[in-house]
Amino acid sequence: MTIRRHIPISRRTLLRGAGASLALPWLEVMSAAQRPPVRMAILYMPNGVREDMWTPEGVGREFTLSPTLQPLADLKSEILVATNLWNQATKGSEGHYIKTSGYLTCTTVSKTLGVDINCHGISMDQAAAKAVGDRTPLPSLELGTAPVATGVDTNVGYTRVYGSHIAWSGPTTPLAKEINPRFVYERLLRATKPQTYTAKDDLLLLDQVQDDAKQLRGLLGAADKLRLDEYLSVVRALEVRVERTGKAHQTRWKPRGLQKGTPEPVAPPEETPKLHAEHVRLMLDMIALAFQTDTTRIATFMFGNAVSNENFSFLEGVTGAHHSLSHHQNDADKLRQYQLINRWHVDQYAYLLRKLRAMKEGESSVLDNSMIVFGAGLRDGNKHDPHNLPLVLAGRGGRRIATGQHLNYSPDTPMANLWMAMLDAFGTPVERFADSTGRLPGVLA
Amino acid sequence: MPSSPWQKSRQAECLSHHRRNLLMQFGGTGGFACRSGILGLLPRAGSARAILLLAGLAPCAAAGDFTYADAQSLLKRYCQTCHQGAAPAGGLAIAQLAAPGTENTARWTKLLLRVRNGEMPPKGMPAPPPEEREILLAWADQALHTAACANGLTPGPHLIRRLNRDEYASTVRDLLRVHFNAGHALPADGAGGEGFDNAAETLFLSPIHAEKYLEAAKETLEYASKDPKARAAFLVAEPHEGVSPDQAANKILEAFVPRAFRRLAKPEELERYLNLFHAAQKRGESFDRAIQFALAGILVSPNFLFHVEEPNPGPDTRPLDGYAMASRLSYFLWGTMPDSTLFDLAAQGKLQDPAVLGDQVSRMLKDERARDFAERFIDQWLNIRELGRDIKPDEKLFPTYYDAELQSAIRYEPILFFQELLSKDLPLLDLLDANFTILTNRLAKHYNLTLKDLSQQPKHADLPTDSHRGGILTMAAVLAVSSYPQRTSPVLRGKWILETVLGTPPPPPPATVPALKEEHEGDAPQALRERLEEHRRDPVCASCHNRIDPLGFALENFDVLGRWRGNDNGKAIDNRGELPDGTKIDGPDQLKQVLLERKQVFLRHLTSKMLGYALGRGLTASDSCTVDQILGQLEKEQYRTQALIRGIVLSMPFRDQAGTMANKTSEGK
Repeated sequence: MTIRRHIPISRRTLLRGAGASLALPWLEVMSAAQRPPVRMAILYMPNGVREDMWTPEGVGREFTLSPTLQPLADLKSEILVATNLWNQATKGSEGHYIKTSGYLTCTTVSKTLGVDINCHGISMDQAAAKAVGDRTPLPSLELGTAPVATGVDTNVGYTRVYGSHIAWSGPTTPLAKEINPRFVYERLLRATKPQTYTAKDDLLLLDQVQDDAKQLRGLLGAADKLRLDEYLSVVRALEVRVERTGKAHQTRWKPRGLQKGTPEPVAPPEETPKLHAEHVRLMLDMIALAFQTDTTRIATFMFGNAVSNENFSFLEGVTGAHHSLSHHQNDADKLRQYQLINRWHVDQYAYLLRKLRAMKEGESSVLDNSMIVFGAGLRDGNKHDPHNLPLVLAGRGGRRIATGQHLNYSPDTPMANLWMAMLDAFGTPVERFADSTGRLPGVLA
Repeated sequence: MPSSPWQKSRQAECLSHHRRNLLMQFGGTGGFACRSGILGLLPRAGSARAILLLAGLAPCAAAGDFTYADAQSLLKRYCQTCHQGAAPAGGLAIAQLAAPGTENTARWTKLLLRVRNGEMPPKGMPAPPPEEREILLAWADQALHTAACANGLTPGPHLIRRLNRDEYASTVRDLLRVHFNAGHALPADGAGGEGFDNAAETLFLSPIHAEKYLEAAKETLEYASKDPKARAAFLVAEPHEGVSPDQAANKILEAFVPRAFRRLAKPEELERYLNLFHAAQKRGESFDRAIQFALAGILVSPNFLFHVEEPNPGPDTRPLDGYAMASRLSYFLWGTMPDSTLFDLAAQGKLQDPAVLGDQVSRMLKDERARDFAERFIDQWLNIRELGRDIKPDEKLFPTYYDAELQSAIRYEPILFFQELLSKDLPLLDLLDANFTILTNRLAKHYNLTLKDLSQQPKHADLPTDSHRGGILTMAAVLAVSSYPQRTSPVLRGKWILETVLGTPPPPPPATVPALKEEHEGDAPQALRERLEEHRRDPVCASCHNRIDPLGFALENFDVLGRWRGNDNGKAIDNRGELPDGTKIDGPDQLKQVLLERKQVFLRHLTSKMLGYALGRGLTASDSCTVDQILGQLEKEQYRTQALIRGIVLSMPFRDQAGTMANKTSEGK
């Protein structure tokens, strides 16, 4: 096998980073050019939340966490809860698919079983990746726990592709997710490989692909050309990345996470874990590892696909499956279970935040230099409405985010305004994002 | 019920081939009933009446009298407020909308879709009563169908598409003769079109693909070079006395490239891969490493990764060349590259000969590779791929499911059953009811069947007459996938039948309808029965649940895992139901009868699914004419399974390639 599975990541990192700088005390490296980069992750939860247990009491800095947000108690000063944001473009007849693919694009996807799939935009994370993705070995990471849902939903007339993606690099290109933690780990290893023989080999092969494709392209009709161009563009992107890997001029942050004495990251098991809880933890570990080693600065994670019916009976007090319980119809017992599931998700979120907080970057932590969003594409799973979406943003984004508050906006403030503010903090400002009406006030420090 | 001017005659012939509308199968809203869906499905009107009588459907509203003028007056009344003037909403001006025809198919299709889903007219605006809406939909569907078929059959659009994950893995396996899943690290593919993951429209490429193809190519070749059998298969020459490394490399490439690209190699292609070999040699690589490098280049080439057919430059439709036919056949029936027999027939130009095609279909369906076809088709058609993924029986309540041996027997029963139909050319109606199934001793025990000669290996087993088994409906996989993790659900099962067996999924509840207190987890199905009866007073709720629930209740004797039961939690199972037209369905045996009586609806749906799978795309209006043709042939051949496959293989969309003229029209949509 050509994949060298057992080389620990720290060795690669050492090889990649300049040996001398690693030996320097932290503060000496902390020059202006060496400020820790800002990272950004969006964690998407399917099926919405139990409304009455979500919103904190009180606004501003004096607020009380709601029951569902309780797991964030020790992180209260690190989070910002936003209330009353909505995603106008995803309102309408269909409950899940448009609210998933439109989550980070804030656009209305075309209704289709597949032929003319189109999100009419780009997702917020990819807008950032387009701007600065070339500064890290991987522009972004798209992770999840479930493969693309099978089939088309003929009841509502949408392909389930829409419910399985939140990252779109363009109107017609949803980005495939990696769901096996081990593959993510290996991918992180590969991406940080120093330039070697293999890289040169790869470049030759990729060159050949492009020659083949160009020749083939000349023979094809317009629609087919577009298809082939999709392949050409991903090949070119890979080529650029292979070329760049290990080159000195990269403005890459020299990660401090893996200094001597830090325990080496453990490779996840080869098989995708069967237990959902374990699976989720491992994927979150991979986000933390990717951020810590600065292999990428942008990640999206789907706890499950839209309409996920994951069986949560592994939780104490829950006997049902996610989507079915989200259609609680105000039945007390279902509401109780629904909330427990919501809370479990927040628990996992808190786990990631704590993990990032424990990763020191000099005086700060990786969490201090990150923006980690937790949210859903709809509020109440029983009503499927995109008003007042559940949203938490954690991490100070390198002192750019005013955490420790609950901000209550006027009803129906565009969620795109939050994405805009985050793109600002990320250092990739835009004039407008989808239906945004301006930067969300109060978010930036 | 408001009456409409075109509801005069209840005798007239009904319309529409439309498959989606629930109303058409089992009666209609508040007494309105339409048999049009059934009639339109038939190739000839003669047998239509017989089917109708059998189906026992209520008389149809008189859509036959409906005309373009009626449609216009209806659309004017309900739509024109917004859809008129210089800038009509959505660019649709009712006054300018001509009768459905080939020129405005796209426009009408969009209109019908929005009306059908209740998105138009928008909430709060006056809307036509359901029966008028249905007549409009049925009329327009039929008009589009007639228009599409009037111009004769067309091959339809065909897009270049990449191998999907399964095809990729099988192709690499057969190309290099390695038992190694090269696709294991690729992301799963989404589905489009008729619901399959080989649909061109949804086979996207993400950056992750390029990376994984490259890694997989290197990894597999490394593996293959260490396996003596695989090595012998692709390293067909080695340099030695009298054979230079170049000559050996050339020989290897000459054998490998045509198999990898599934067509004849072009000289300049061979030269380019030879250059890769040279580049590696120049670096001092061994012969083996250098040739592996060149082969890796082939495995990441779009010519390997995509289904490429020599484009048709002319204006007219033409038959596909032999190599394209070989690939179409092998990816349809095996999910992998053609074997040497198909390559030879392609080279001899015989793969447009109907007799040869018929023989190949029989040969290929008997081959073990047809298992992959059965698995991929059945998994996705019946939606059982989700079993064990998104749909998992509760571990605490149903621990037996987690017995690996049983789980595998459950999963493979429908797949192997379908493979049996394919290889033995049994009737397709066996899918609805059969006197055999595929059992292991573990599964037979699970079904509480005492049968002789069973083992751990699944095999064909004749069922006792009183077993209530036979056909897909009573298989554990199907019964589990249409249940909640904790308990059975007549609503889910009824919906599964409407959607999967008949192709008539119930529409989503209209936005204006208050949530019907349907069943949810924790409620016993019997409680639902009472609640439904109570809610039958609300005709809008009942209009769907009247059709969904009786079908599901008929299967109540089967628990989540498909085991037979006489009672549930101490309460006797009530498996009785009645369709809105009065058809009684008491239990699974009668359910099968009722579905067999509607076999034309089932067969049309199955044929459409299969055609979509075979073509790797969603079907168009024109394809519905092809489906008509195949159905006609199917009837003549007693609904034999191979007749369906042959019908598809011999059909125009499968064998022909549209010319540039046709491409222009289809792009214009």
